[in-house]
Amino acid sequence: MMDMKATNIPISWRLLDAAEALASRLWPTSMRRFTGWLLLSPAFLLVFVLVAGLVLIAGYSLHELDTSTYRLKADYTLENYADIVAKPTYWKYIGRSLLAALIVTVVTVTLAFPYAYVMVRTRSPLLRKLLLISLFLPFFIGQVVRAYGWLILLGNQGLLNVAFGWIGLGPFNMIANYGAVIVGLVQFMLPFAALLLAPAIVAIHEEMELASESLGANWLRTLWHVTLPMAKPGLIAASVVVFTLTLTDFAMPEILGGGTTDFIANGIYDAFFQLSDKGFGSALSIILVALGSLLVALIFALAGAGTLSFIAEKRK
Amino acid sequence: MSDYRKTKLIVPVTRRRVLQGAAAAGALGLAGLRPAWAQEPEKPKEMIVRVWGGVWEEAITEGVSKPFTEMTGIAIRNDLTEDNELQPKLWAAVDGGQTPPVHINWDTSTNAAKSALHGAAVDLGDLKGLDVLLPAAKPAGFDGWPMVNAYTYAYVLAYSDAAFPDGAPDSWQVLLDPKYKGRIALYDDGIGFHPVAQVAGGGKVEDIPDNMQPAWDFIAKLKEQAPLLGEDPDFTNWFQQGQIDLACTILSNAREAKMNGIKVSWTVPKEGCKLDTDALWVPKNPAENEVYWAKKYVEYAITAEAQQKWTAKLGLPPVYPGLTPPADLVGDIAYPTKPEDFDRFIRVPTNVLVEHEKEWFEKFNEIMQG
Repeated sequence: MMDMKATNIPISWRLLDAAEALASRLWPTSMRRFTGWLLLSPAFLLVFVLVAGLVLIAGYSLHELDTSTYRLKADYTLENYADIVAKPTYWKYIGRSLLAALIVTVVTVTLAFPYAYVMVRTRSPLLRKLLLISLFLPFFIGQVVRAYGWLILLGNQGLLNVAFGWIGLGPFNMIANYGAVIVGLVQFMLPFAALLLAPAIVAIHEEMELASESLGANWLRTLWHVTLPMAKPGLIAASVVVFTLTLTDFAMPEILGGGTTDFIANGIYDAFFQLSDKGFGSALSIILVALGSLLVALIFALAGAGTLSFIAEKRK
Repeated sequence: MSDYRKTKLIVPVTRRRVLQGAAAAGALGLAGLRPAWAQEPEKPKEMIVRVWGGVWEEAITEGVSKPFTEMTGIAIRNDLTEDNELQPKLWAAVDGGQTPPVHINWDTSTNAAKSALHGAAVDLGDLKGLDVLLPAAKPAGFDGWPMVNAYTYAYVLAYSDAAFPDGAPDSWQVLLDPKYKGRIALYDDGIGFHPVAQVAGGGKVEDIPDNMQPAWDFIAKLKEQAPLLGEDPDFTNWFQQGQIDLACTILSNAREAKMNGIKVSWTVPKEGCKLDTDALWVPKNPAENEVYWAKKYVEYAITAEAQQKWTAKLGLPPVYPGLTPPADLVGDIAYPTKPEDFDRFIRVPTNVLVEHEKEWFEKFNEIMQG
């Protein structure tokens, strides 16, 4: 039998014993049945803060600005919402944001799928590492820096126009337009989509694809009838995340849009900071939250929550 | 000798201190300096001033903050938060009875007036030196001095020398020339441009704000030219990248770009340019001693010494009369010094701007986002 004199007890055991003793003092045995709630409490706090903020904003949205004092009037009114509905500018913001969200989602998921597939299925550890590093590297550079990077690349004297100049073309005006914003957003969203697709592809056993090929299907039929349907949870998750992030984006339209392709988030910023109208900005914010929530709820209702539900789908 | 050389002498009185004080007074007397026994409030270690970046920050630091620190020992820290972004934070702090994030706000006069209407500003009517300043220093539409206008500035027509080898364009109509499609820039809310568009669109200054339709018609035509909309750093970047040939921007920015080697010049076209002012104001709620020294900062900023250095660096006409303009701006059309020079500029009263700027920004957005 092992000699367990005090001097032989490893330091890590002592530390764990001390930690357990402290935990027992702070959270006695009688409270143990509430341990789950204790672990959930930080999350509840965060959600509570978010909900409280939304309630405050909803409250502000029901008051108009008094330009003689630049304070919100005391009366409750729906005038801010009526103003938004009546002004074509805000319909343009909403339409532009929704269209961008749709385009960026389709393009991003289409590009991210093969990337994630190769990253998961490759036999080469070096290639897998390279693809993973390339995926994570953009996260170390913020969205604003990446947007300015596109300005350098696409500007009139940017790298692309210089290259076009070598072959006698251009310069072309490639920034300060909707296309530039879309390109910037696709590049920004790609890592998110790939990271959400990868677990779904990992969950598809390679034998399923081999079985399909052994039954005579070529790679395209295997992809269409086997891989894609089984990757559906990842596709839904990636689509929902990319869609909502694009719908609410501020930086890319602000920097790449040239001031004439604003999204709803830019309109909200202008309302708060340019027009000093907290009530109007709050009304726009509520509309954005409601719109985003409604669309996501619709997607979940029609297609399920995908990997975001953390529940394995029952195979039929 | 400047008041700012007075030292604080609030200490516990003991026999030793009295003897030490007498010796000090004797020494000071020998040195020819006046000993100060004034009970000025305690000096804070540091005060925060909101500033714009680039040449704006350099100008106020060299012209006002550094000399103030040398005289008083109070360190000045610059807060580069945009004026529009700081405003709601300031208002929330004042409304909530909290200490605001800055001691002194260097702001547009219009924004400062909004803050004054909101009740966020300390009255500066007791500052020394207000009576010698030009009329432009006094905020219009207020009984007291919730702010002090520090200088005037024009929103000029800046142009790339390469695009105009024969000299400056003489009219804002040049913005509608198809040759410059996609190569013109304005501030993203149209600030500085609305009154000019009114005249360029065939309307009259006298009709501002009651009938601005000529301005909106002109801006609607300008929309076809696909202008770039941005802020001060964007204009410099765009000129530098060769992205634009024309811009409606503040004289300081165009001058700074030129001094940094960008081949750009500026003019005041025949329709005129909007003339505006920027102001200094002190938010309510800091400790009494901090408010006192914040007001002293503003008081220093309107002295001849500070105004000369600060506004010369900015290239803008000061509100202190009789100062020497920067050498490169002597006789410059955009640097008015004599009363007749101001005739070619368009001035919109601050209270009209405060009341109507919101609807002008919204209208400009409506046209440009279409």
